[in-house]
Amino acid sequence: MELTVTGVNALTSPHLHIWDWRVSLYLFLGGLSAGLAVMTTILHLRKGGALVKGEPAGYIAPLLVPVILGIGMFFIFLDLDRKLNVYWFYLTIQPLSPMSWGSWGLLVFFPVSGLFALASLPDDKLSWLMVEPLKNLAVATRVYLFPLAIINFAMGIFIGIYTGVLLSSFVARPLWNSAILPVLFLTSALSVGAALMIMIARTNKVRLWFTKMDIWMILAEMVILPLFFYGQFTSSGAHRQSIMPFFSLSHEYSFYGFSMLVLFVILPIALVMKMLEIKEDHEGELTSQALAKMRLSACLVLLGGLIIRLTFVYAGQLSKFT
Amino acid sequence: MPKYAMVIDQRRCVACMACVVACKNENDVPPEQYRTRVLEMVEGEFPQLRMELRSELCNHCDNPPCVYNCPTGASYKRKEDGIVLLRKNRCVGCKACVAACPYDARYINHEKGFADKCTFCEHRLKEGKEPACVATCIGKSRIFGDMDDPKSPVRIALQNSDATVLLEGAGTRPRVYYIKKFSKPE
Repeated sequence: MELTVTGVNALTSPHLHIWDWRVSLYLFLGGLSAGLAVMTTILHLRKGGALVKGEPAGYIAPLLVPVILGIGMFFIFLDLDRKLNVYWFYLTIQPLSPMSWGSWGLLVFFPVSGLFALASLPDDKLSWLMVEPLKNLAVATRVYLFPLAIINFAMGIFIGIYTGVLLSSFVARPLWNSAILPVLFLTSALSVGAALMIMIARTNKVRLWFTKMDIWMILAEMVILPLFFYGQFTSSGAHRQSIMPFFSLSHEYSFYGFSMLVLFVILPIALVMKMLEIKEDHEGELTSQALAKMRLSACLVLLGGLIIRLTFVYAGQLSKFT
Repeated sequence: MPKYAMVIDQRRCVACMACVVACKNENDVPPEQYRTRVLEMVEGEFPQLRMELRSELCNHCDNPPCVYNCPTGASYKRKEDGIVLLRKNRCVGCKACVAACPYDARYINHEKGFADKCTFCEHRLKEGKEPACVATCIGKSRIFGDMDDPKSPVRIALQNSDATVLLEGAGTRPRVYYIKKFSKPE
């Protein structure tokens, strides 16, 4: 019998990918909930709370934050190979492990976002809670709306950064090992958060306010993304090699090349659509066509955020420190 | 206290794979998974070609990224002898250590779910034996011992040759040294 053993990794055998779509979805949904948490705080505190008056997103968006976060955490749970040992995350603190302090951060973020959601529920929506203790808690937390909003904001920024740091701490994976990655993921999180807020909002002033905000976030993304690639290209050979899948049109890397092509098309389209939206006259009700355009541009931003997470998680595992 | 290390003398390796088989047998490694491997790499341009045979395993780094990235403290570096080990009962199978290792030395044990790797056969060391791969190596390519003992085989091997480590730039300070087949001491 001839036995030959060679070093194989995800580059030669795609089934050897360490992390797959479950981790990508976790990072996307974690970022989305973080971005939405930041946006809900802004909605509540901006202009002394004037923006939130008469706006259903003021209580729907905070409710969605823990739900989206919960779904994201479910996907990372699915990725664990020893699910019954999950409690060990919370029996220790490993200060050098981003996954450790991230899991503790999630443990804080989840109840804070839940309490903020309860506190922001108006009287006529308390019936949604069904059980009496929850209704009492919602009423009791209202006096703490402001501090909860501030903590919610801070935790949103923390989780947005954490989703990037989780990947950037690996010296072994040059594509991820960049300090720009957490900034890119945070910007993307804020951008998708604003996009979801636009989809939830019912009043024009809120939609337009978050459209303006999203324009800045998309612009920031469009600056940070090329800067990230430039930084990698001008770094070591391994770092330069790590971004090649994104710029190769060979069939081997077609997923990454095509994804980047899509990203560099949809982000500018979303930006232009949003810039046109804020120039239109919004005195009256939005026409169904204008509304559809607004939602389409928000969907493009969400798609962009998903593409960034999917491609970066997979491509990072093709890169190797040499 | 011993400071265990391994030297791979590539000049003596014949790629018989006995080390791979011994390791799998000793440590009950599942089919199609390996704690150690022997890479066969062709270098150069025709007709100036040469083949490098390189045994790879966990480097038991002094600055181990797998330990730093472990969220539960399952991966740890044993203070007594510097061997990087795993508390299996704590491992959640998150694969952070697999992603963190620049040597691709870790894998998820498909049968048991934990992040498995070479342990320098620490159960054999307790009995005063060498790791299984070292004991079985017919060319004496794998050399094991205590770096703090001047008479140990690893110290002698390192004194008399020009040894290197893998991916020195990663800053992991590995404890597996390589004497390359074609390199010449200064």
